Amino acid sequence: MSGLLILLFVSLAAIASPKRFYDDDPLPAEPSPREASKAVRRKVSDYYDFFQQTFASPGQRQPKHGSPVPSQAINTLGEPMDGAWYTRRHYYTPMSTEELVRGPGNTNAPSTDGKWKVVKAKSEGVTPGFEFIDSQGRRYVLKFDPLQFPEIATAPDVLVSKFFHALGYHVPENYIVHFNRDQLEVGPDVELVDAKGRARKMTSRDVTELLLQVPRDKDRRYRGGASLFLKGKPLGPFKYFGLRRDDPNDIVRHEHRRDLRGLSVFCAWLAHDDSRAINSLDMLVDVGGVPHIRHYLIDFGSTLGSASYGPNSPRSGFEYVFDWGPAAKQFFSFGLAVPDWAKATYPDWRSAGRFEGDRFDAAGWVAEYPNPAFSNRLPDDAFWAAKQVMAFTDEHIRAMVKTGEYSDQRVEQYIADVLIKRRDRIGRAFFSQILPLDRFEARDGRLVFADLEVPGRRSYRYQWSAFNNETEVNTAIPSATSAAVPAGEGYLSCKIRLDDSKKAVTVYLRRQADRVNIVGIDRSW
Amino acid sequence: MPAYKHRMTKLFLRATLFASTIALIQAQTDSRTAEIEAARDRKESQLSPDTPNTWEQRLIYVKDAKVLERLSAGIAGVRLKIGGMPTGSGFAIGPDWFREDWGRGEMVLNAGAQGSTRMWHKEYASVKATGFAKNKLWWEAEALHHDYNSLTYYGPGPDSEKSNRTNYRLEQTTVDTMLGGRPVPMVRLGGSAGYLRVNVGAGQDERFASSEKSFPAVPGFLRQTDFFRTGLFAQLDYRDNPIGTRAGGNYTLRYDYFHDQDLNLHDFRRLDLELQQYIPLYNKRRVIVVRTRAIQSFTRPGQVVPFYQQASLGGGNDLRGFRPYRFHDDNMLAMNAEYRWEVFSGLDMALFFDAGRVSPRRWQFQFSQLETAAGFGLRFNVRNATFMRIDAGFSHEGFQVFVKFNGIFGDRSLHSSLAPHLF
Repeated sequence: MSGLLILLFVSLAAIASPKRFYDDDPLPAEPSPREASKAVRRKVSDYYDFFQQTFASPGQRQPKHGSPVPSQAINTLGEPMDGAWYTRRHYYTPMSTEELVRGPGNTNAPSTDGKWKVVKAKSEGVTPGFEFIDSQGRRYVLKFDPLQFPEIATAPDVLVSKFFHALGYHVPENYIVHFNRDQLEVGPDVELVDAKGRARKMTSRDVTELLLQVPRDKDRRYRGGASLFLKGKPLGPFKYFGLRRDDPNDIVRHEHRRDLRGLSVFCAWLAHDDSRAINSLDMLVDVGGVPHIRHYLIDFGSTLGSASYGPNSPRSGFEYVFDWGPAAKQFFSFGLAVPDWAKATYPDWRSAGRFEGDRFDAAGWVAEYPNPAFSNRLPDDAFWAAKQVMAFTDEHIRAMVKTGEYSDQRVEQYIADVLIKRRDRIGRAFFSQILPLDRFEARDGRLVFADLEVPGRRSYRYQWSAFNNETEVNTAIPSATSAAVPAGEGYLSCKIRLDDSKKAVTVYLRRQADRVNIVGIDRSW
Repeated sequence: MPAYKHRMTKLFLRATLFASTIALIQAQTDSRTAEIEAARDRKESQLSPDTPNTWEQRLIYVKDAKVLERLSAGIAGVRLKIGGMPTGSGFAIGPDWFREDWGRGEMVLNAGAQGSTRMWHKEYASVKATGFAKNKLWWEAEALHHDYNSLTYYGPGPDSEKSNRTNYRLEQTTVDTMLGGRPVPMVRLGGSAGYLRVNVGAGQDERFASSEKSFPAVPGFLRQTDFFRTGLFAQLDYRDNPIGTRAGGNYTLRYDYFHDQDLNLHDFRRLDLELQQYIPLYNKRRVIVVRTRAIQSFTRPGQVVPFYQQASLGGGNDLRGFRPYRFHDDNMLAMNAEYRWEVFSGLDMALFFDAGRVSPRRWQFQFSQLETAAGFGLRFNVRNATFMRIDAGFSHEGFQVFVKFNGIFGDRSLHSSLAPHLF
């Protein structure tokens, strides 16, 4: 009986085992989304988020022993698919400098043809502001810099949004605006909840008093950051773990999404340590008549060393706000163990936050508090992100930094210089963790690719195999040890390595008629 | 059928069902797209509202409804105030009314009353007006009455005995007013005047002798008077953050003349000088703080400073290895040095060394005679402000632990007629 049972198990399992590759692999985009109109707005408590992620371990974490959990929400090439979370942009189809500078859009700046009607006082976030509607009927959130630190938050809010757009994320259109007091008028029946929780009608005087705390430019105009309202219905932030329970399209736990694991590298580059749930937003958007949820990153005022209300702590990016190990070290060492980050030097410009590249530790960078998706990052996630960071040239970076409209050219140059330095450190840190080969193609009977770390200067070892797509068994082809693609039908695999290192890339090819397509990539380290 | 065969049959049927299901799914998902759609099907069959759990909902409510801000602001400005009495009062609480939105936001009004577990009580009212001369001038007035029934006293002079602890009752009523100006951003200058009524009585803490019985000759116990006070002050303040200082300096000078209104025995002048310097190291993650405070009293022949207006030394604000109010005399010098380091964002630790002495004569302080204390402390911070500190100080008189809900060396009144250790 038991023998029969095992036989039946094996037989059915063989029948049921999925193929490694389907005919539609690799998918460039997620299938069309399903309707999610029943999703309702949810809020996130930033305090709860902090305590939960600091003192508990929500979500599924990488096991301490055994095989790690690989990234999901990717196609068989290891690339996130275009969809609700992510869109392949600059690395995949190089954007021109103009496109990079344009970012998510640059044609919807608030019109100064008429007054800006204040319709709501901004109560969330650490900096004061308003929501207003311009003469074209477009709605914006208007935020300001602290009086003593002009440009420290508004400049990053704009320029970093361009970077995140080019890196593939959904972001709002942010603009630097300059205006006089008479540009603003208070709409009827606007309610203001003051700092003590008292609600009352907002008056023109409230606007005047708030503007007393706003720095002015050289022409005595107020400078602010205007963020165009996103289209659709806001549904609250997304979390960096678990699933959104009311979204039928959200089928991969967030802590396992490559686009969120890899986001940690982008945040490290741009010093976005405020990368937490509350700085994200799910929107119910209607595309092609199907209301579905699109996931946005918002609010970049606390990047590039800014804390929005002033320069960020020098600890930022190096240690969590609270971490048992470093805290114990400081507690018991009587302060004699000075952390390396505390020795960093920063320029004394009020527009620049605490942002530097000399002590930047790309692999060790952390956000304000533990982020489950960031903590789950594996070397192939980091590689996926690092290759995108490295796709920005110095010229790209300098052009994009200009969109922050720093009034002091030295600050603009400094920010760009640091970004270039941090970019290079990211490349060095993450390209060395795996074999950094990418952009595979079968061309003229040969497998060609780019070595992102040492272009064209290394010799590689190849081992071709016939690959059984049903059983996933590789059968080595002894004579096939070069870049030339062996003859034959069906699936092939080619394992590439530099030496005897464990670091390898296995590329899967499908030959159909005269065409050879790359259908899959595995990376091991 | 034997039991094990029955179990095996059930297992067989379940396995068949399981494998068939997988096979069925597999048959339906012969593409990656179909596989994703199948996952969506499963998700769609399980959709539910994405609501936060109870604890998160409560925290969201606290933030959205601004519960803490409302508690702080109170109802129509009335709220509960905790603490705020001198050391020794026990737990103090009482209603406090605070408004800063009157007079087009240029007036600050405050009034309240507090009682403590040791039956001390205090009532107060104050008004502050700003906005004169392009915000460079301000005016303040304050009235206060307190009845502290068991203040500690060890006798006069630097050689008082720890074992001679006594207590006394001090009831005072003051009315003070001041006019201040800010000629440049970091400098404040001004003058003040006030009237002080004093009543000293027997201490109510029966664990200790009443002070007038142990020290009948100390001026101020048996006969009390009222005072009219006038004074000047100056302050240079360039601290980076007054409620959580990590860099800069704060130097204050007060000079007051107390005129005895009834007895012609207690006319005196008092110089109160305080220098605080904060030396930042390593991006302000380490701070060396040095602070010196000197109080010098000046009297004409035949005049003496009553004990309740003398300088006091000891306790959580100056000489932390000694009990509060351990030493009293006309003159005082206190020096403090702290080395602070950040443990994490919400906590700094400190090692400190305190030295000080009281003296009946001005500027008669020999370093070899200074009382000294050393210890360590914890500074709890929220948003760059110290909200609580714990200091443990050690001296030849033992050790003391102080829990305070303020930053050490904080701001002090520039116009109060009370003794320096009571405001």
